[in-house]
Amino acid sequence: MKFDWRVPAARLADLDRRWIYLVLAVSLIATMLTGLRFPDKASFLVQPVYDHVERLPAGAVILCSIDYSPSSAPEVEPMAVAITRHALLTGHRVVYVSLWPEGNSLIERLAGMIARDFPDADEGRDWAALGFKSGGEMLVNSLRRDFKAMYPQDRTGAATSGLPALAGIEGLADFGLVAAFSAGVPGLREWILFGGDVTGVPVAGACTGTGTPQFLAYFPQQIVGLIGGMKGAAEYEAALAEGHPEYRQPTMRGTDNMGPQAVAHSVIILFIVLGNLGMLAARRLGNGGAR
Amino acid sequence: MTAIAFHPSASLEVWIGALLTLMVFSFLWRDNPFYKLAEHLFVGVSAAYWMVVGFWSTFWPNVVLKLWPAAIGVTDPGAVPPPADPMVLVPVGLGLLMLCGAAPRLAWLGKWPTAFILGTTAGYTVVRTLRSDFLYQVRATIGDGLIVFAADGAVDPWLTLARLLVLIGTVCGLIYFTFTRTGRGGQGVFARVGLMFLMITFGATFGYAVMGRISLLIGRFNFLLGDWLGMI
Repeated sequence: MKFDWRVPAARLADLDRRWIYLVLAVSLIATMLTGLRFPDKASFLVQPVYDHVERLPAGAVILCSIDYSPSSAPEVEPMAVAITRHALLTGHRVVYVSLWPEGNSLIERLAGMIARDFPDADEGRDWAALGFKSGGEMLVNSLRRDFKAMYPQDRTGAATSGLPALAGIEGLADFGLVAAFSAGVPGLREWILFGGDVTGVPVAGACTGTGTPQFLAYFPQQIVGLIGGMKGAAEYEAALAEGHPEYRQPTMRGTDNMGPQAVAHSVIILFIVLGNLGMLAARRLGNGGAR
Repeated sequence: MTAIAFHPSASLEVWIGALLTLMVFSFLWRDNPFYKLAEHLFVGVSAAYWMVVGFWSTFWPNVVLKLWPAAIGVTDPGAVPPPADPMVLVPVGLGLLMLCGAAPRLAWLGKWPTAFILGTTAGYTVVRTLRSDFLYQVRATIGDGLIVFAADGAVDPWLTLARLLVLIGTVCGLIYFTFTRTGRGGQGVFARVGLMFLMITFGATFGYAVMGRISLLIGRFNFLLGDWLGMI
């Protein structure tokens, strides 16, 4: 009996999407359970951010804007963790603000990370959390001249005018770097347009994969570098591991998640190829598989 | 090969989060009441969260404390009251006018604050956008010349090629969007090159979007397998 190729071809061309979800889920879970990892290296977009933090004079203040929500935290939070570690490791001060209401709870998580990983770092001296303030681009615009007027207190209620973490800061231009961890609007674009381009303060972008392409055009003239998506986070972790081999990062979520990420991409590519092969075969064999 | 550990969480919060995650995932099979429940919960809780955060982070410090500084004792007993600022009545008045939009007969009053917001935002944004997204982008494309020299004075072939590609892509992309002529002859060739650049851009954008979505899926699986089941 002759095998009828039209049947598998038509099935491939018209595969129920739920099979794709199932295979994707199984392959992701299997990869995560086995802990598959791939070596990474900082790209030309990520390395300049790392180099900029390295070159800053000791005690410089890095402003981290936590402009993402819990839904985008799996992508963006590893970047915030990596830059915070790098800054504290190299003797810089870190100040957290947020343009998003959800930012306060995410800053709390970063504060917890600092308490665990850097027990000697004092809040108020080595780092400060100023939290969410509404206004978006108007807020960024008003930070140019008098930063402390917009943030009179930190999250503990201490006056920012007396905080050692903010000593020497008058306006936005006094920061060594503005790192915008961005998952939408307001976010990185507002920091570029109303912060970096106006005051000259260096701005580093750290954003979701979905948002990355729109910010590529700003590099290298208007932003120092761009950490894009989970891959960018893994690259920054790799740069930190290479640049500071004496420091062992307690967690490397970007690197850990790039194994499953690569497997998921392979599965998607496989299904795209199979789907197209099925469609071409069905068309050639004449059973109308093509839509 | 090490055995896979299994230590389910004892936290009620984690269990609620895990079950809600599974309810949302169930939509991948098909629409069902569990998904609907999770969806409605999400919308309701999000709205409540935003309202509470909005009240305490915006309305309370910017309106209540500026009109009635002694109210700081409600949240922070013993704190020094901030200075009063009656000027805050102006934005409060504009905000109240905006609420008039809910009443059909007074809806016209709601146009004043809308006009104010649109006007000020446009005034701020147009200048900044023109500079950052137009002038600086033009400068980045052609401002420093096409040929890039390395530190030793030699021509850097890769960066020069990159600049050339950016210039060709920009010009051809603009020609593709020139609709005043019919795109035949030389213009058609450039427009086709522009279209190719656009397609490559869309492909890269799609790739980044897939990476972003998969990252979020991995984040949820990390929660399910790690925080909930204690398997990783």
